[in-house]
Amino acid sequence: MKKVKLTELAFARSGDKGDVSNIGLMAKSKNIYEFLLTVITPERLKEYFGGMVKGPAEIYPVPHLDSLEIILRQALGGGATCSLRFDQTGKSMGPVLLGMQVLVSEELLEEARAVDESIKKQYGV
Amino acid sequence: MKKVVIGSGSAFWGDIFEPALEMAQSGEVQYMGFDHLAELTMAILNRMKAKNPEAGYIPDIIPWTKRLLPVTQKNGIKMITNAGGANPVQAALEVAKVIKELNLAPMKLGVVSGDDILPYINDIRAQGWKFKNLDTGEEDIDSIADRIAAANAYIGADNIIKELKNGADMIICGRVSDNALYVGPIMHEFGWDFSDQYIDRIAAAVTVGHIIECSACVSGGMSNMWKVSERPWDIGFPIAEFYENGDALITKTSGSGGIVNSWTVKEHLLYEIIDPANYLMPDGIGDFTALKLHDEARNRVMVTEMKGKKRPDTLKVCIGFKDGFIGEGLIYFPSPDALAKAQWAEKWLRERFKKLGINFRELRIDYMGVNMLHGEAAEVEDRDYNEIGLRIAGRTHTYKEAEAVRREATHLWTMGPVGSSFGVPMNVRPVIALWPSLVPRDAVKIESQLMEVS
Repeated sequence: MKKVKLTELAFARSGDKGDVSNIGLMAKSKNIYEFLLTVITPERLKEYFGGMVKGPAEIYPVPHLDSLEIILRQALGGGATCSLRFDQTGKSMGPVLLGMQVLVSEELLEEARAVDESIKKQYGV
Repeated sequence: MKKVVIGSGSAFWGDIFEPALEMAQSGEVQYMGFDHLAELTMAILNRMKAKNPEAGYIPDIIPWTKRLLPVTQKNGIKMITNAGGANPVQAALEVAKVIKELNLAPMKLGVVSGDDILPYINDIRAQGWKFKNLDTGEEDIDSIADRIAAANAYIGADNIIKELKNGADMIICGRVSDNALYVGPIMHEFGWDFSDQYIDRIAAAVTVGHIIECSACVSGGMSNMWKVSERPWDIGFPIAEFYENGDALITKTSGSGGIVNSWTVKEHLLYEIIDPANYLMPDGIGDFTALKLHDEARNRVMVTEMKGKKRPDTLKVCIGFKDGFIGEGLIYFPSPDALAKAQWAEKWLRERFKKLGINFRELRIDYMGVNMLHGEAAEVEDRDYNEIGLRIAGRTHTYKEAEAVRREATHLWTMGPVGSSFGVPMNVRPVIALWPSLVPRDAVKIESQLMEVS
């Protein structure tokens, strides 16, 4: 087992719907998706974001896309038009989530790295 | 199999222009959708219209149509836009002027309006509809009724379809949902109505509309694929080839830069939604948990097995109301001791605010470069940073107090620790808060007309 940041295992992008911060968390493989379902919980999310998220955290699994739709309520200072946040629309919330540390097996980490490598190779980077 | 090819030309007021023009020049699409309206935009446009009855539309529509119409006419592309904003009729009159000025071929302009429910919102309330706040759960709009600045329903594709059927060459709408700009032409081309037999295919159109409606956001913009996006400065806007069976191919203008793959499509499917199984739009409900993505070739992603549910009986309505003011300030501190200087400045400001007796609704002070974006999730290191910015933002009931917040921040320029650096001061801004709600579909008086320009 190894302690890594979520960025090794998944991609994330976030935006806003009023005062809701929504984060699409996309696992780099089906196995990693199954693993994320067990470690990313509403409690863990609330603890990680602390006072940034005043309302509940919800998770909607999207199995066909190996993804989790994460809903953080009352997380954007009342919503973009009245928020005092510099990042009014919560675009940074997804990448911030990718800083969360998780304990993961070497096998899953290898799977994730293989995906990163194949993307680089496919686009000649 | 019959298909409709439709592209996105704009995602918001101020979007980049060249990709739209390049898509039109490519001749690869039959329709282009142009969204210009964000949640706050309607309140801004309403204010413009209140000052001048001939304003209230997105002014960009004039320079944009000047450059686009000669190309779209030549290539037989129909543009569908919600740039009409708070004044779609006037926007159409302005486009008519462009057509005449450039001696273009005669055109029929469809104009869709009636999304503005402010003139009769009290009649709807009188019938017992309370406009419950979907965010906060507040039951009755009574508490803000005297401060409403705008109330617009997100209307669907009904009248876009109607005017396309009437032969419109371009459609100019008010607050039509971004999504309907795409669902409209798809339904029109296949001759679908809202009867049960088309539910899944309309849901597919709703889903595809969602995928492409944010322009570059599915073709390399805001993407996790940013490192591998090709010539991102030549980014191409997305195109959907929508098939009659409800499958679709997502791609972008040939030869353009950017990137479309199953990751970028996935990113956007999950973007700015709540429940992925119930993506509620005025024309249908998309279920994103059923569909499958397949990378068919470079920059070509097939979307299959899309389904969903029948359109809801209510429409979303966005009510904007005046709700205080925001005063802001920004100041940067260099090393040595950048963090200590910023902390000193925070203390100085808090004492000053106390001394002035400012009654804050909310005060926020961020350390730029340290925790402004990461908040409590930030890993703050005890080291000498090269530079740290202090951002001060305060929300108050009165303009006067917000102005005092802004002013105190500027005083730090001369009162602060050595090296305190400042840019251009910011202005106080009024807050238009949003009250998201629903309105019965039948209560919204949607209208449309055909304007013939020759």
